[in-house]
Amino acid sequence: MPAIDALLLTLAAAAIAPQLETAPPVQAAPLRAAPLQAAPMRAAPIHGGTLTVGLPYDIDTLNVYSTAELGDVEAAVVEGLLAPDEHAKYIPVLATEVPTLENGGIQLTQGGSAMRVVYHLRPGVKWHDGADFTAADVKFTWETVRDPRFLAESKDGSQDVTSIDTPDDLTVVVNYRAISPAFASTLFTFGILPRHLLEGHDLNHDVYNQKPVGTGPFKVSEFRRGQYVVLDRNPFYWRRDEQGASLPYLDRVIFKIIASSNTLGALIRAGDVLLAPRIPYMLAKQLQGARNIELVSGPSLGWVHLDFGLKSGSKLRDPVLRRAIAEAINRAALVKAAGGYPQAIRSPIVPLLESLYDSSPDASAPAYDPDAANQALDAAGYRRGPDGYRSKDGAPLQFWITTRSGEIDGEIGEQIIMAELKAIGIRISADNKSGIAYREARYRGDFDLLYSRWVTASDPVYSVFYGSHGPLNGQGYASAELDAALARMETSIEPAPRRAAARDVQRILAQDLPAVPLINMVSIAAKTRRLKNFTTNPTNMTDFIGIARWYLEPSQAGTP
Amino acid sequence: MSPQFLLRRLVGMVPLLLGISLVLFMIIHLAPGGPLDAYVDNPSVTPEALAQIKVAYGLDQPLPVQYLKWIKSMAQGVWGYSIRSGRPVTQEIAERLPATLLLGGTALVLSMALALPIGVVTAALRRSAWDHALTFLSFAGISIPVFWLALMMQLLFAISLGWLPVAGYETIGAAGLLDRLAHLAMPAVVLSLATVAAWSRFLRASMVDALGQDYIRTAYAKGHSPAGVLIKHALRNALLPVVTVVSMEMASIISGAVITETVFAWPGIGRLFVESMDGRDYPVLMGLMMMGSAALVVSNLAADVVYALIDPRIRYD
Repeated sequence: MPAIDALLLTLAAAAIAPQLETAPPVQAAPLRAAPLQAAPMRAAPIHGGTLTVGLPYDIDTLNVYSTAELGDVEAAVVEGLLAPDEHAKYIPVLATEVPTLENGGIQLTQGGSAMRVVYHLRPGVKWHDGADFTAADVKFTWETVRDPRFLAESKDGSQDVTSIDTPDDLTVVVNYRAISPAFASTLFTFGILPRHLLEGHDLNHDVYNQKPVGTGPFKVSEFRRGQYVVLDRNPFYWRRDEQGASLPYLDRVIFKIIASSNTLGALIRAGDVLLAPRIPYMLAKQLQGARNIELVSGPSLGWVHLDFGLKSGSKLRDPVLRRAIAEAINRAALVKAAGGYPQAIRSPIVPLLESLYDSSPDASAPAYDPDAANQALDAAGYRRGPDGYRSKDGAPLQFWITTRSGEIDGEIGEQIIMAELKAIGIRISADNKSGIAYREARYRGDFDLLYSRWVTASDPVYSVFYGSHGPLNGQGYASAELDAALARMETSIEPAPRRAAARDVQRILAQDLPAVPLINMVSIAAKTRRLKNFTTNPTNMTDFIGIARWYLEPSQAGTP
Repeated sequence: MSPQFLLRRLVGMVPLLLGISLVLFMIIHLAPGGPLDAYVDNPSVTPEALAQIKVAYGLDQPLPVQYLKWIKSMAQGVWGYSIRSGRPVTQEIAERLPATLLLGGTALVLSMALALPIGVVTAALRRSAWDHALTFLSFAGISIPVFWLALMMQLLFAISLGWLPVAGYETIGAAGLLDRLAHLAMPAVVLSLATVAAWSRFLRASMVDALGQDYIRTAYAKGHSPAGVLIKHALRNALLPVVTVVSMEMASIISGAVITETVFAWPGIGRLFVESMDGRDYPVLMGLMMMGSAALVVSNLAADVVYALIDPRIRYD
């Protein structure tokens, strides 16, 4: 996934634990053994081997808090207290259990208006340099991340904490200023910083950003800018497999930076890259049926949507127009153009979020119905001219559509939408942008129609996108009713009221239609058949969070 | 050519580069957005923290002050820190320079080695089958998109034949001269193809022009061999305009080649520039663009010097 996407992910603030890529294998892929389920093992995992990975973006820094990319490399090196598994459920990593209300890990304070989270840390964990990992490191991480002098991209959650107590070396008590159901999606999950190496250092310019020291299964041996990162096995890694054998299985991992997806495809075919995470749908299509290559797909919490620019003066403030546009879009065509991988959706709360999703019609955006769209536009006085395009009172019905340039899947989707809107008589022209220019347009609302995507955490927070003051709401959409529903949803930690509030959120969004939810993304990885135990991860913590259990079968003659 | 002339030209570069830097600085800041956009939209970065970040990068100052500060630190050899990676700009650029110069230099040498004979042959044998064939190939070379050619070469030489690596700068842990050459081959050929085509056309036109001059007829009349006339009399005169074109190309080497670098995963300056542009990494952008401008100014001077060497009639005082 290109740089900026990752950037949006990290940005998508409070609770974005994006990139859902879990389970079901796509085509040709046989059922993979999910490490947590007791799947029958054909052969015992083998120690050794080098895994070569192709990454599509240039790495800026290897510090999980300051990078603007997804931390693929970092996930193999740095660990947090918790991590989302392949089903986007939190599992303990450096903590011994996931804090919940039931196990007493979450305690409500100040008469139920605030909370305290207690983590018990895993004993005997060592940093890559051999020093002990303790509660002081956890506290240091919070102090460092919230320090305004530290210029970081991901400071999510650091402002919600008022203080941290460390009664002993293995206990951390985090005091929150309010109820924060999404606490697990933020800082202590991203990663813990080593206090003994960083205290008193200027983390903006520290060597840590090139060679981070963590507790994870691999340590950084070499980082060549613009080329590759070499990771070697951490021989003292704390985790063991079910048979008691040491982890990780792999000896070495090399991340190669390959910005061109065509080149990446060639490298995969040539066997020079054995794993490529999050490949574009177009590349997946090309690699289908390639010898010795397996495509693994998993669900994602990401979804693609068409946003309306609703700033004052915009024609799109007319609900009739928005509804007609929504009815004109055939999601099946979008799915087909994406190689059949994604799923059509009609609500921003994706079906994968089982505890929140509601499939009832009044909570879903309009389905494909171009006849209804045409009738509604006729009735509203948008008359077709001789060229087939509509206008009203002499003003032509025309809009710009924007998406991130250079991103092939997005540009293809944009073309389809342009064709479909032309079919109902709306003239559409593309105005694509890249990098900061795209961000500017997106967050300042300088667009008519925006074809883009969001990814949430497994504890999703939607107020950032659709709240009247949502930091990522560049559309200019504001609804007091929705704000109230979002507030109820995002401050309740009990399942039932949370679900009811989520239903209201879905219903109001389907009614107001500030954006048309289109497809639920899937995450597709291309890998050699020799790589076993690989699972995709649906969150922003990337597939590499499970790397300790991956192993390579030895190659036979002629197989990459 | 007098040493005074060289000195005068060198001194003259200073105000020129200063002027260029001012224009570049203004253009960069005219583009929408800024390096801190990532933080502006981030709800966990408070306005106070953002203000502090601005101070840390000096972005709170008015633009003229920022510019003067930048000039002052550049003059002292301090190019600032990359906002994207937090590392010194000089380090960011220095890491990419060897790969950039190796690829660009090889492509340049290759281009000249091919364009000169092609230009001479097509001019000498104009309207022959050779001329038509090479002319056709030249137009093909100019017209074929770089990314497509690169892809086809990868498919043929790396995937089907397995002779060359698909992409990359070196084999990790096994880099040697042969390995380096194998990695260099395809990008250098791809990068030089369009130049070979353009330069050989350019030289052909210039040669045809020279071959029609009276002194060529005189040379033949004096009994010089055809090859001697072609090389000594015609080529030497035809080279002057080519020198100008080549010197421009030499300067652009240092700016890298974005598409070739991207397709062949080559760690050059071009990719660094695009990434820095997308992130509005002002310090890196200014460093790169000033380096490119300086290279252009210097290569213009070099071209003037070469004119004088090739053509004794040209004198600088």
